[in-house]
Amino acid sequence: MNLAAAAWLVFRKDLRIELRTGEILITTGFFALLITILTSLSFYLDDVVARRIAPGVLWISIAFSGVLAMGRSFQRERDHDAMRGLLLSPLPRPGIYLGKALGIFAFLVLVELLLVPLLAVLYRVDLGAVLGQVALITLLGTLGFSAAGALFAAMGVRVRTKELVLSVVLFPLVSPALLAGVVATREVLGGASLSEVYDWLRVLTAFDLTFLVLGALLFGPLTSE
Amino acid sequence: MSIDFSAVTAQGLVKMFGPTRALSGVDLELSAGCVTVIEGPNGAGKSTLLEILSLLSRPTRGTLRFGPYDAWRDRQLLRGTLGVLAHAAMLYPELTGQENLTLFARMYGVPTARIGALGERFEATSFWERPVRTYSRGQLQRVALARALLHEPRLILLDEPSTGLDVRATERLVEAVVVERARGAIVVLVTHDAALTDKLADRRVRINRGRIEDQLA
Repeated sequence: MNLAAAAWLVFRKDLRIELRTGEILITTGFFALLITILTSLSFYLDDVVARRIAPGVLWISIAFSGVLAMGRSFQRERDHDAMRGLLLSPLPRPGIYLGKALGIFAFLVLVELLLVPLLAVLYRVDLGAVLGQVALITLLGTLGFSAAGALFAAMGVRVRTKELVLSVVLFPLVSPALLAGVVATREVLGGASLSEVYDWLRVLTAFDLTFLVLGALLFGPLTSE
Repeated sequence: MSIDFSAVTAQGLVKMFGPTRALSGVDLELSAGCVTVIEGPNGAGKSTLLEILSLLSRPTRGTLRFGPYDAWRDRQLLRGTLGVLAHAAMLYPELTGQENLTLFARMYGVPTARIGALGERFEATSFWERPVRTYSRGQLQRVALARALLHEPRLILLDEPSTGLDVRATERLVEAVVVERARGAIVVLVTHDAALTDKLADRRVRINRGRIEDQLA
């Protein structure tokens, strides 16, 4: 089976399980919404301040809820040691990794479809003119975050301190993507055009490609003894 | 690329976990159409040996060959020829038994008709439309057995396969292993079930403290 077919098979499996349980979407969705609502209540001073802190709230919500989604996605692989079944199979290891990363990415994008409009309402952000730009930045950032997260969550499948590995190792590593995401979103919400945030988009794209390639290459060795 | 082999040869397998030596130079020859039962006390190295044979763990030293193939170098090619039943069922609890088998059939490129045949062989069709999380231990084991044999593997590794099975299901297990042996599969069985050993063993290998102590044909 080729790489794309393997990734699609793993992704469809995760999607089928999620459609049946709704577990990842419900837990991460509620968590992200809770962060957004609580921060709006805590930090809201006026419309100007609200608009300034909105990008930070968006990316904090994505980061924290993303870790929840990654942990839960790989917990499913630990139940009944299902990951071993995947690793024993002839599926190419990079395909398994890409399928898992794609699943996490898709679940986070679905959460963001709720999160971004809610953020716009609570923080008085006019998304109308910049929706496309915000969507692009959010998708690029989420892709990199999912790619890095899938790799480290996979490492945690064979490590007892999996949550520790995920949060302690992941956040410093994804900080370039989070920083680029926050700054690019802030600039776009402040009226900058895409060309003005081009350098940040390049950072996000480079981060995505780096972690997708690294993940595909390292997933096999990291999941073997 | 389709590959095949008729013997598995291990020479001087050593496996270290830090300072702990789990295997201390295991030499083993496994042949097609033969059921080899591996016996030994807890901690003897049986599970480590199965991990290495299932290509999930690389030996620290020694060579492992599947026919003409070097097991570690060619592991990606060889994986499709392995069928493994371990302590855990390796199934997704939220999917039904049938969905799990369909998923694994796709991974191995097996026609869906084979799923029905195995479901009937292990009498799993009466419950396999329920999610796996609702299964009893015996039902779980029957679907896990079907998963392990789905793709007619050349090398079959069964770790305590009779766990949780009732008398009738154990008979089905014995029948299945006999069929696989007649097909020319290389079967490795790790079990403490003396009755199962008596029924199936063509050869018995006793392992202790990471070494093979005794081999009986």
